Amino acid sequence: MRDEEEFRMMRDSRRDFLKRTAMAGGAMALGPLGVSAAQEKPLDMVIMRFNGGQGGPVDDDATVDARAKKMTETAIETLGGMNRFMKKGDSVWILPNIAWDRIPAQAANTNPALVATLVKLCLDAGAKNVKVGCNPCNDAVKAYPRSGIENAVKQAGGDTVYLDPERYKDYDINGKRLRKWPLYPEIVESDLVINVPIVKHHSMARVTVCMKNYMGVSGGNRGQWHQDMPACLCDITAFMKPSLAIVDATRILTNNGPTGGNLADVKRLDTIAAGTDIVALDAFAVGLLGHKPEEIATVAAGQAEGLGKMDYRSELGLKEIDLA
Amino acid sequence: MVWARRGVQTLCLALFFWLFWKARFYDEGPPGRYVDAFFDLDPLVLAATWLAAYAVPVAALWALLTVGVTIVFGRVFCGWVCPLGTVHHLATWIGRVMRRGKPKAQPYSRGQNAKQYLWVGLLVMAVFGGHWIGVFDPIAQLTRVTATVLYPAVQYGIEDGATAVYHADPHLGPLHVTSVTEPGYRFMRRQVFVSKRQVFSGGVLIGLLFVGALLLNLYRRRFWCRYVCPLGGLLGWLSQRQMLRLGNAPNPCRECGQCAVVCPAGASPEKPRQWRAAECFGCWNCVSACRFDALAFSFGLPLRAASEAPLDLGKRATLAAGAGGVAGLLLFRLEPQNQGKTYNPALIRPPGSRAEREFLKRCLQCGLCMKACPTNGLQPTGLDAGLEGLWTPKLVPRIGYCEYNCNLCGQVCPTEAIKPLSVKDKQAVRIGLAAFDTSRCLPWAYERECLICEEHCPVSPKAIFFRPKEVTKRDGIVIVVKQPYVDAERCTGCGICEAKCVYKDKAAVRVSSANESRHPGNQPILSGSSGDGARLVPSTGGDSGYFNSQTGGTEGTGSSPYGS
Repeated sequence: MRDEEEFRMMRDSRRDFLKRTAMAGGAMALGPLGVSAAQEKPLDMVIMRFNGGQGGPVDDDATVDARAKKMTETAIETLGGMNRFMKKGDSVWILPNIAWDRIPAQAANTNPALVATLVKLCLDAGAKNVKVGCNPCNDAVKAYPRSGIENAVKQAGGDTVYLDPERYKDYDINGKRLRKWPLYPEIVESDLVINVPIVKHHSMARVTVCMKNYMGVSGGNRGQWHQDMPACLCDITAFMKPSLAIVDATRILTNNGPTGGNLADVKRLDTIAAGTDIVALDAFAVGLLGHKPEEIATVAAGQAEGLGKMDYRSELGLKEIDLA
Repeated sequence: MVWARRGVQTLCLALFFWLFWKARFYDEGPPGRYVDAFFDLDPLVLAATWLAAYAVPVAALWALLTVGVTIVFGRVFCGWVCPLGTVHHLATWIGRVMRRGKPKAQPYSRGQNAKQYLWVGLLVMAVFGGHWIGVFDPIAQLTRVTATVLYPAVQYGIEDGATAVYHADPHLGPLHVTSVTEPGYRFMRRQVFVSKRQVFSGGVLIGLLFVGALLLNLYRRRFWCRYVCPLGGLLGWLSQRQMLRLGNAPNPCRECGQCAVVCPAGASPEKPRQWRAAECFGCWNCVSACRFDALAFSFGLPLRAASEAPLDLGKRATLAAGAGGVAGLLLFRLEPQNQGKTYNPALIRPPGSRAEREFLKRCLQCGLCMKACPTNGLQPTGLDAGLEGLWTPKLVPRIGYCEYNCNLCGQVCPTEAIKPLSVKDKQAVRIGLAAFDTSRCLPWAYERECLICEEHCPVSPKAIFFRPKEVTKRDGIVIVVKQPYVDAERCTGCGICEAKCVYKDKAAVRVSSANESRHPGNQPILSGSSGDGARLVPSTGGDSGYFNSQTGGTEGTGSSPYGS
């Protein structure tokens, strides 16, 4: 309920945003602390880059992780802090992409430092517990440790959860394609679900980001969704009522996704985007892979279904921050 | 002394289960060779594998320690160490507690020689290249039963039990039963079991045979150890001149017969001159049970007969046993496949498996690879590999695929039937080839988007690729669908495409054993191009490569520290 109210509030204030964005455009380069003008109304979206997102060696884990941490902290702070999205005693589920038995440099899974930073921020904001997990494509026993997420989350004080195939429950999605579908109750019933995808190439959907990442909540024969991906992803996104998502573009996978495996297909961008509008975040992410949002069926469908705005630059309260 | 034995037995059984549990992939990577410790202590495994394959892992030479101990102390391995022996000991004890009436002596019978004939037959079979030892060997058997029956059953029970409680959520006010069951469930799920619940086809047969063997303890105490176990037989044969011997000391015998009543082995302790060293487990029951201090073990001179009742196998019977082994082998080889005449498409062996004949010469059918397999894809073979290959591992992609970055099956294999390859070498091994069934595949047959197979394909560039195809639908609308194809040069046969295919009954992309690295004779597709070094291996008909792997560079030698 809380989410819905907030959304309504934000929609109402969108006209104000439009005015303000014009000003914020000028304030763009001021850095994380120069936000006072925009602080009165919460922002919809923050794009963070390090050194203009020019990147560096893809396998330099230490630098990537340190920057991911810094960018995540700044992004959440700029959006108004974690307490904007949760209250004390909430149970939080962080939904990264941990689908594959791949190391972080291969950019098939979400950056572990980004996930761990979110865990920390949630715990600092008074979360009762912070759980991390998704329904992976490779076995969790292999994917969780190799992704680096299991260890990073443990050190940050969160729990990684191996989803149990016997514990999915059918939920009434009441969407265009999905009427009922098995989802993982522990995730669905969390007070806050933070969607933390990585930006990757995907042959069928062309790109996989936020909306596609919700497949990590679902069980059943979810491969069926491939036959009508845009509709299914809109249904699940609407059902999940997203309130916060962070797109990991510290490294992106440009080809042979979503599994990857070859470092030559990985591009380091030292970029993340955080916000409340899933469609906007997806629209931003597909641009990183050289697509226009309207070319990507899922993103276009997301806007058509009223799940968000593709044109995040003119329609949302946006702030772009460059760290160095 | 009896309590010391029980302590050691408990420890050894616990150690067995702990090593079994350690055969898994976790944060720390694959376990070491130590998970095979019990196999390495097993001289029957050493003898049979060496005779069949002329090679054994160096670590298997630990079995010589068991031989040494047996020559001095007798079958203490059976009485103190063997985990299967302990399980039968427990079953015997439970049977005795449950049945009323005083236990009676179960004296020696000549039938106990059966186990001697069994190991003779099996080892003669091994000399001629048949390796069926694992069907009977106690370590292999208990590992198989634990892997395919006990472990999955316990996991099933605990997880479904806890999940039933979780869904029903019985509570009394604020007191929820789940607050007790959930932490336990999470601990078991996280620390004890593999996250994907394992199930094994044919496990029920393995389980029933084992239950049958346990029930026989009601007829004779430790029936299996006494009559059947070929390792027990071999160790008994070695202990005919054991130095530790039973005698009447320090007091004279009052002939109460209590020692015979408590003897689980039929070793005739009541007449120490007729004591049967080849049967005795060294369990100390008789010495403890004697109220008159009339029985004791003491050391005698080496190389002398341990008593006046030697093991009498009979020349003719022994020869017959050997002949039985040869006959059994010939029967096995009547299967066309076991002569390399045919290749079974369903026989997708784990990566690093040797050529089929060499593989069968080593595989113990113990199921440790199946336990280790994180996707549950490795399953016990029924008759797909002939009776000779009963319970050997095969990949069933519909159940689970071969995980790209995993080499665990080869790491845990006690006899290196599956070579312990490094992950990099393992990734270069082809275990089969995927093929599309275009009459089922959605983009091919039903003009729908799909490509789940391509999404999951783990090699890079992907072995599954697509070509956009313009099709006119029945209603005249023209659409473009992405139709998937397999690149035979890149496909490793891991089977994730078949595992993830949207069909639940029969996948539209299926893997067969074709193109497997280990068999040049089963590689229909010419790879590479002329002059790039990928040359043909001389082929002499359908059975080429059935006997030996002769792959050119695709199969690495791996990081094996063991000779082979």
